[in-house]
Amino acid sequence: MNLRNLSIAALASGVTFMAQAADQSAEQSAGATGDTQTTLEQRLQRAEERIKVLERRLELADETATTAAKAAPVVKAAPAGLSISSGDAATVIKLRGNLAVDARFFLDQNTPSTADGFLFRRVRPYIEGTVGGIYDFRFMPDFGGGRAIVQDAYVTARFKPWLALQAGKFKGPVGLERLQPDQYNRFMELGFPSGLVPNRDLGIQLSGTLLGGTLSYAAGYFNGTADGGSTDANATPDADNDGKRDWEGRLFALPFANSDSFALRGLGIGVGASYVNSTGVATSSATAVSATSLLPTYRTPGQQSLFSYRGDTASTTTINEATVAAGVRRRVSPQFYYYVGPFGLLGEYAQVTQQVRRQIDATTTRYGSLQHSAWQVSASWFLTGEEAAYAAFTTRSSFLPGKPGSGAIELVARVQGIHFDDEAFSGGATSFANPASSVHKADALGFGLNWYLSQNFKWQLDYEVTRFTGGAASGDRPDERAALTRFALIF
Amino acid sequence: MRFKPALLLAALALGAGPVLAAQVTLLNVSYDPTRELYEQYNRAFASYWKGKTGDTVTVRQSHGGSGKQARSVIDGLEADVVTLALAGDIDAIAKNARLLPENWQKRLADNSTPYTSTIVFLVRKGNPKRLLDWNDLVRPGVSVITPNPKTSGGARWNYLAAWAYAQRQPGATPASAQAFVGKLYKNVPVLDSGARGSTTTFVQRGIGDVLLAWENEAWLALNELGPGSYDIVYPSVSVLAEPPVSVVDKVALRHGTSKVAQAYLQYLYSPEAQDIIARNYYRPRDAAAATKYAGQFPKIATLVTIADFGGWGKAQAEHFNDGGIFDRIYAP
Repeated sequence: MNLRNLSIAALASGVTFMAQAADQSAEQSAGATGDTQTTLEQRLQRAEERIKVLERRLELADETATTAAKAAPVVKAAPAGLSISSGDAATVIKLRGNLAVDARFFLDQNTPSTADGFLFRRVRPYIEGTVGGIYDFRFMPDFGGGRAIVQDAYVTARFKPWLALQAGKFKGPVGLERLQPDQYNRFMELGFPSGLVPNRDLGIQLSGTLLGGTLSYAAGYFNGTADGGSTDANATPDADNDGKRDWEGRLFALPFANSDSFALRGLGIGVGASYVNSTGVATSSATAVSATSLLPTYRTPGQQSLFSYRGDTASTTTINEATVAAGVRRRVSPQFYYYVGPFGLLGEYAQVTQQVRRQIDATTTRYGSLQHSAWQVSASWFLTGEEAAYAAFTTRSSFLPGKPGSGAIELVARVQGIHFDDEAFSGGATSFANPASSVHKADALGFGLNWYLSQNFKWQLDYEVTRFTGGAASGDRPDERAALTRFALIF
Repeated sequence: MRFKPALLLAALALGAGPVLAAQVTLLNVSYDPTRELYEQYNRAFASYWKGKTGDTVTVRQSHGGSGKQARSVIDGLEADVVTLALAGDIDAIAKNARLLPENWQKRLADNSTPYTSTIVFLVRKGNPKRLLDWNDLVRPGVSVITPNPKTSGGARWNYLAAWAYAQRQPGATPASAQAFVGKLYKNVPVLDSGARGSTTTFVQRGIGDVLLAWENEAWLALNELGPGSYDIVYPSVSVLAEPPVSVVDKVALRHGTSKVAQAYLQYLYSPEAQDIIARNYYRPRDAAAATKYAGQFPKIATLVTIADFGGWGKAQAEHFNDGGIFDRIYAP
């Protein structure tokens, strides 16, 4: 083999060797890249997963922030008034109002024409609310009737469903219709039984519901007020006038509240009562007489005087002949209501036993124990189908001219009676009440229409005829025929 | 006579307003996954009620995590009825807001639960990570989607199902069950507030390997949200979830809707409603519907109930209240 051939062979071998080496290197690089690619893909996949998770967390955080913004303090203007509440609703303050403008017209010839007219029956801006979730309060003045008084001012601690403590001035727990929130009274003026039970009084009260809400109780200790009256009408307004306190209480059952039967759930029955042993004062001096009788005046559906005890008619100041309370005043009032669908029925009976005395002359004092009683049954029917309730029913629609909806229309009817103890009139000139001006008995029949143009605005029209026994110089007092109407805004 | 104004008023009264046919609106506050169910049920009930009474019923729905919904009602959301995921949430409304009596559960049949459900695994198609039972979910690298038990009723059922599984393992103790559930929640990357949110996370956002879901929610995802993309796995141990319903008495009384609300819930037990319930993959109470749809509800080997945990009062206090076991095992 010559040198040329050896060189060619060497060159060929070298090329071959180099080619083989190049192939081996290429194979090694491709394997490393594949491993790296798989790793990169896995890392990319994990990164994508993490991005998706972070995006989703951001999304949820946004939703939470939006929800939290919703939990911020809330200011609301609603049918139930203007309210400001904390995000958790544990603290709520509401600004509310009750404005009632009445018109009274008497269709009989006996009621003086001065009784006809318009009046502010209620002008009550009020504030109420809750703090700390369980501590309620209400402050409600009233500027109606040309006066400025405090109707309600109380605080309540709702410790448990079965135990709440209330202190201040508020409605006594005796009368059923009396306890109904004013805006839900079916008639413009309350029935006769409400004239025998206490209205608003200053005191403290324990109350609660038991047995799954089927039984409620209230027991209170109050300054005391005359039948149908509030303490703002006392001789010293909103103060204890007799040094004695009244015990007042009630039990009220909703025996079928948890029943499966809708028809029975709306039945409630109960009894209220009160007791005090207290004495009025009738004083006389050389120059003047005065009396804190602690006794009421009872009124007709048209709010005219029905019965009152004799005041002082002595021609001298040496004695005061006014009839005054003299001992026990005991009230009891069995009561019921029933609501089913658009129909409602409310009935109560009230009886007051009142010990009285009257100074007849310098040496003679007459004592008596008088028992007066009253009853009523009232019915209501929503023509527009609302579900009737003792309180807090909801209108299905509002009346807005040009739009569908008539508001809620309700027909109401009532029969009622009141009877005054015959002993009140016995004894001629020494009687405790004057039979020429105070009736022995009254019975009334009333009808009404309530139009709730919205949840807040209502128009009421009542017509009631009251027939009397006695109450006139001779024979019976002529019938009272009262046509009453009211425009009321409640929020 | 001095009564001309009175006569005028009387004349106005005689002409006063017409009588309207009744229009009733109810608010049904429900838990998260029941949207489709109540959309269909509400139509059926409205039709039934119209035929029976002539009245028109409109039912508004609110959906969210069951616990959150209960708190909303307590805080003033005016629900005429509540249809929630678990009795403990309605108990909370009765106890804290006193809007319904504490014996509410006795008022309707079957403890006021017109249907039942259970908890299953929804996995990616083919189950690539072989997630067959609860112990597979605690493996490293497995991502589990479940809602927050603080807000979601379904999440509380999920949690209890996992706990029940752990309790049934050989040598189990409360500590080992807690450790097991702790490991499970370490694999949870996102906690939604409700079951539907978790479905969104898993299905629409594509996050996670497995969704712990209400059975109906899993079938919804399978059939409607991602047909062909998922499989359902029934674990060896799960819970018998009994979502209850109730009228919110005081709200319904205030609204004047008591009668309709009662009928609305009662109708859930009717044959028509039970068929709707079963079609939406809830397990019906009605025997005929249960037989008709038996094929879509497999038997689960071990089904525990809330009674196995001492009732909702005990379970809620022990596991889910502030400072409970969940707070100790999960930190965001």
